[in-house]
Amino acid sequence: MDLQMVIVGLGGEGIIFITRILVEGFYRSGHPVISTETHGMAMRGGSVISQIKIGDYQSPLIRHGEADMLLGTSEVEARRNLPFLKKGGTLIMNTEGKGNQCIDATGIAHSLGNPRGGNLVLLGYALGHLAPTISLEPFLEVTKELTPERFLSGNLRALQEGWRRALKVDKGRKKGKGIRRHG
Amino acid sequence: MKRRRSAGKVLLGNEAMARGIIEGGATVVASYPGTPSSEIMEAVNRIKNEHGLKIHTEWSVNEKVAFEVALTNSYLGRRSAVMMKQVGLNVAMDPFMSSAYTGVKGGFVLIAADDPGPYSSQTEQDSRYLASFAKIPVFDPCSPQEAREMVKRAFGLSEEYEIPVMVRPTTWVCHARQGVKLGRIERGNGVPTFIKDPERWAATPRFRYLLHKELNRKIREISLANNPKPVSTPGGAELAVIASGVPYAYAHDVIKAMDQEGRIALYKVDLPYPLGSKIDELVGIHPLTLILEEPYPVIEFQIRCREKVRGRLDLTIPSEGELTPDIVAKVIATILGEEVREIGELPPGGKRPSLCPGCPHRAAFWALRKALPQGIYPSDIGCYTLGLNLKAVDTCLCMGASISQAAGLYQSFKQAGLEIPPIVPTIGDSTFFHAGIPALINAVHQGACFVLLILDNGIVAMTGGQPTPTWDGPGKRMKIEEVAKGCGVDFIRVVDPYDVPLLMQLLREADQYARGREEGVALIITRHPCLIYGVRDEKREEGEIIIGEECDACGVCTKRFECPALQKGPEGKPVIATPLCTNCGVCLYVCPQGVIERR
Repeated sequence: MDLQMVIVGLGGEGIIFITRILVEGFYRSGHPVISTETHGMAMRGGSVISQIKIGDYQSPLIRHGEADMLLGTSEVEARRNLPFLKKGGTLIMNTEGKGNQCIDATGIAHSLGNPRGGNLVLLGYALGHLAPTISLEPFLEVTKELTPERFLSGNLRALQEGWRRALKVDKGRKKGKGIRRHG
Repeated sequence: MKRRRSAGKVLLGNEAMARGIIEGGATVVASYPGTPSSEIMEAVNRIKNEHGLKIHTEWSVNEKVAFEVALTNSYLGRRSAVMMKQVGLNVAMDPFMSSAYTGVKGGFVLIAADDPGPYSSQTEQDSRYLASFAKIPVFDPCSPQEAREMVKRAFGLSEEYEIPVMVRPTTWVCHARQGVKLGRIERGNGVPTFIKDPERWAATPRFRYLLHKELNRKIREISLANNPKPVSTPGGAELAVIASGVPYAYAHDVIKAMDQEGRIALYKVDLPYPLGSKIDELVGIHPLTLILEEPYPVIEFQIRCREKVRGRLDLTIPSEGELTPDIVAKVIATILGEEVREIGELPPGGKRPSLCPGCPHRAAFWALRKALPQGIYPSDIGCYTLGLNLKAVDTCLCMGASISQAAGLYQSFKQAGLEIPPIVPTIGDSTFFHAGIPALINAVHQGACFVLLILDNGIVAMTGGQPTPTWDGPGKRMKIEEVAKGCGVDFIRVVDPYDVPLLMQLLREADQYARGREEGVALIITRHPCLIYGVRDEKREEGEIIIGEECDACGVCTKRFECPALQKGPEGKPVIATPLCTNCGVCLYVCPQGVIERR
């Protein structure tokens, strides 16, 4: 498997957490993986970025125009980081807007009774786009291990809901409706 | 999906280095937190507790102290490690330089983490330079996996030559995650033995000359065996790339992606200092050599004849900012005469960081700007540097400088015979202990008069919540008030900054003391636990914060107060972002119309 993925947003939106789930999940599925994440001052509500590379890579940084997938916990940050995305790459943003590249992860998390779980809805939705190459199981397993007890059921539900919605979109695409890809 | 039994564990680079320290058998480990190095010590403590190891670990008061505590354990024949960020090494420079001369008995590893960019530092200095300045060998890992191995190799090299050894990771080693192979945990159990040797451990200048001679011998010997490792060397290569650290990883991936493996000979440098003369031969046999390293040209400077060398010194590689795979790709393509793909630039901007909702520092800065608006505000290193956004931070030089700069301002105005403006330095509790105490003693002793604000949130917050000397420890807890009293400060008040009117009143009283009556330094300690890492105050205020109908959208609360929980809504009026609001109630004092209320 060869996949380069950029996740952007603002400090406090849980980007490091979903980066950890991704890296652990892919690693346990037998894929070599390397990633980076933002720590320090920038985390205080400022712009943050994680980069994840699955495959035969030694460097953790992704070149502009080479990301297969760009994930934004905030729409503004997703749009600002578009130069990372390669032609035909998949853009997914947490926003109320229309289209398959938009998912109202925050709203869905609210309706699931887990207002801070938007990051996991977004993660599940992104992973769903990679089905059936991958399964959700290893990522659920890691989420279980990394989530404190009191948030556990909420986080698992959020991840599964995101995944489910992506599969629905995928079905639509196979019927010829076409997923909108950025390019 | 096929599953493979993993022989390792996904670790953050800093966790991988912690693993190297433990597997290396260190018995004393000391550190002072600083991005990007902070998680190394946290991981050492975690592994220590998980395995019930009897290592002495400490968050020391500053990097110099951490260095000296750990170094001495290595004088006694045992393995030790000390970790810091690059500017922390500036603080530890004195023992660092001298320890190269005295050398060690047990393995001694210094991890100095660099921050090219910089992302979270005052400078993007290269610690490998300081290693070569001190004549100390330095490893330059390119990944978490290699960082763990290099820490262990560093212990071995240190013991073999009785010399301190540096491991220099950069941000994208420290904060990269990767599957890392684990080794056996060694329980370091050597008996500490101090063999008196005053000519070495207490050397006077006469003996220092001899130690220097010995140091030069060690460095020469190490350099003889230290050459760039060939990674791929096709015959007739048009270009040699010699790289170390993360830039090596960039080079590896970029050359592969460009499909130019046949035209490029790739070499990797593990130990950028001290280099042997083999590198000159390599430069000699290739038509052209590109050196990739960051952030400064350390390898490049050790090459004797640089006519056929491209790198930072001839400006092929930019002299500042982080080296990225995009820059590496562009440089290699240009040299090979291949098509250069234009790099899409990220638009400028992005959101600047700001103090958290409910942060006690924001309340303190607001009160300061209101009570003494004509002031000059020297500040310091920590979350509160973000007081910049509230225009309550005028200088930020280095750890502890707020207090000496306040004294400098006072002495300057005083010497010129001018009226002295309110001078109000702000410094966090941990920074005060780190480097503020000598500055305070100096200010008091030299008769400087100003209002000192110690922003006491009880924790090192910026770097992820490490302890300060005010915490329970194996020894005594420190009290800031008592330390300040011992430094000769007579005016000391403690206040919760959420009580903005009281803090404003105290600031005016303190200004009267310091400026009106010129009695000396007046200290106000604003004490409230950090909302992220501190102990949460469970007795939160009752009632909900409401923004009244009469709000005229003046923007003071959203722009100048800049609380992330107050967001601009329809017609520019603020709305409260409920999940973010901590109900601190400070905004009640901020609204000029008084329409923010608690109900």
